[in-house]
Amino acid sequence: MQSKQYSIKVYECSIEDETEFMLFFDVNYTLFKDHLILIHGDISDTIKEYLNSKSLTFLNNINLPKGRTRKALERDLAHEKRESEIDHIIAQTELVKLSNRLGNNLTVLDNMIRSGRELSVEGDLLLLNRVNSGALVKTTGNLIITQLVEGAIRCGGNFMMLTASHKANVIFHGVEVDNKFLVDKLSRVELKNNEIVITPVFKKEINWA
Amino acid sequence: MGIIIAVISGKGGVGKTTAVANLGLGVAMNDKTCVVVDFDIGQRNLDMILGLENRVVYDMVQVMEGEATVKQALIRSKVNNNLQFLAASQSKDKSVLNSDKVYKLVKELKETFDYVILDSPAGIESGFEHTIEFADAAIIVVNPEVSSIRDADRAIGILDSKSQKVKDGEEVAKYLVINRIVANMVESGEMLNSEDILDILSIKLVGKVPEDKGVIDASNQGKPVILDKNSIAGQAYKRISARLCGKKVEMKNVEVSDSSLFTKIKGIFR
Repeated sequence: MQSKQYSIKVYECSIEDETEFMLFFDVNYTLFKDHLILIHGDISDTIKEYLNSKSLTFLNNINLPKGRTRKALERDLAHEKRESEIDHIIAQTELVKLSNRLGNNLTVLDNMIRSGRELSVEGDLLLLNRVNSGALVKTTGNLIITQLVEGAIRCGGNFMMLTASHKANVIFHGVEVDNKFLVDKLSRVELKNNEIVITPVFKKEINWA
Repeated sequence: MGIIIAVISGKGGVGKTTAVANLGLGVAMNDKTCVVVDFDIGQRNLDMILGLENRVVYDMVQVMEGEATVKQALIRSKVNNNLQFLAASQSKDKSVLNSDKVYKLVKELKETFDYVILDSPAGIESGFEHTIEFADAAIIVVNPEVSSIRDADRAIGILDSKSQKVKDGEEVAKYLVINRIVANMVESGEMLNSEDILDILSIKLVGKVPEDKGVIDASNQGKPVILDKNSIAGQAYKRISARLCGKKVEMKNVEVSDSSLFTKIKGIFR
């Protein structure tokens, strides 16, 4: 099989006044002589004869497939990019907002908490590394962990923010937090009016609160 | 002055001793002098895997107690002159070890050999602690399964807190060997892949060893699998040894199954 692919120009119109239509093509003939004329609506024999005499190619009442223009694609891409940037900014501002709430007796750590280690912190903790399976992190104050938690967490503060895997065991104020709310997304766990409220930080996620 | 490498795993049965035997021989094949020391006191195995069980006259404990000199206790490998072996005691238990004696022994070995490879016992008891105490580097052997990873994680934690180098404010170099990888299980997601493991342990990868039935037979015969040119595990150990000797060897991806027609046909006749 032999085939060719090429783009053509299409002039799309509908006829309201036949004389006006013919006059328009008489004037603009040079402009449209290489175009495919697509006419919507019924056309009379006079128009058909006129178009044939001018040797113009025409189609009647057909929906031509239209590709999306590059501009539209670019617009969509830019939109997506902006969305993800917004998400990133939200995560950042959330982090900043919460770390501003950290304050009394803050400990900042960048150590990996490996299996078997028990980290006990008086006051608040900002941990910038993983908590591996078999490790335990205990705080009396608030807690933020920026990387994946697979071990055990005991937090007694007003809030904590973390991402946990299904292996993790997270206990907030003596209540076990269901892992499925914390898996694969950065979430904020807070104590509000004696209720534990879990809010995912990204707005795209379902708001459980 | 050589380097002391402790081979550790945390969990037992992941292939530590096999790794020690093969890497020791591999390093020796790269023209470096090497001594492998079995630190698994009371449960020595390395002598069998190296095929030297009938040569053991003096063991490490006797050397430490001053009943024999290091020179008397060292056993030269039958297959490579660069490799020597120091046996563990089979009758004593690990309570006979203490830091001073261990230090004296490894220091003496370090002065004579390029590579001193210590085979750590499984677990994280005192025997393990003495193995890592004076190590310059550690090779962590894991299997791609969660229990092995967690135990290794624990062992790394202890290494990072109890070794002499860390106490001196330096860092112990840590290298990961992932052993017994079954390619099609990794592909189907039943087995952890190396990226996940590296994520959890966050140490440098030095090699991946595929599962190979030949390893057990090689151990039983006392001929480390690295001597078998057709063994995939042997080739993997060869690459790791070359990397340990400072050569740049490209990482081979053993996590994709070789499904060429030829291997399939070969599989039928196996």
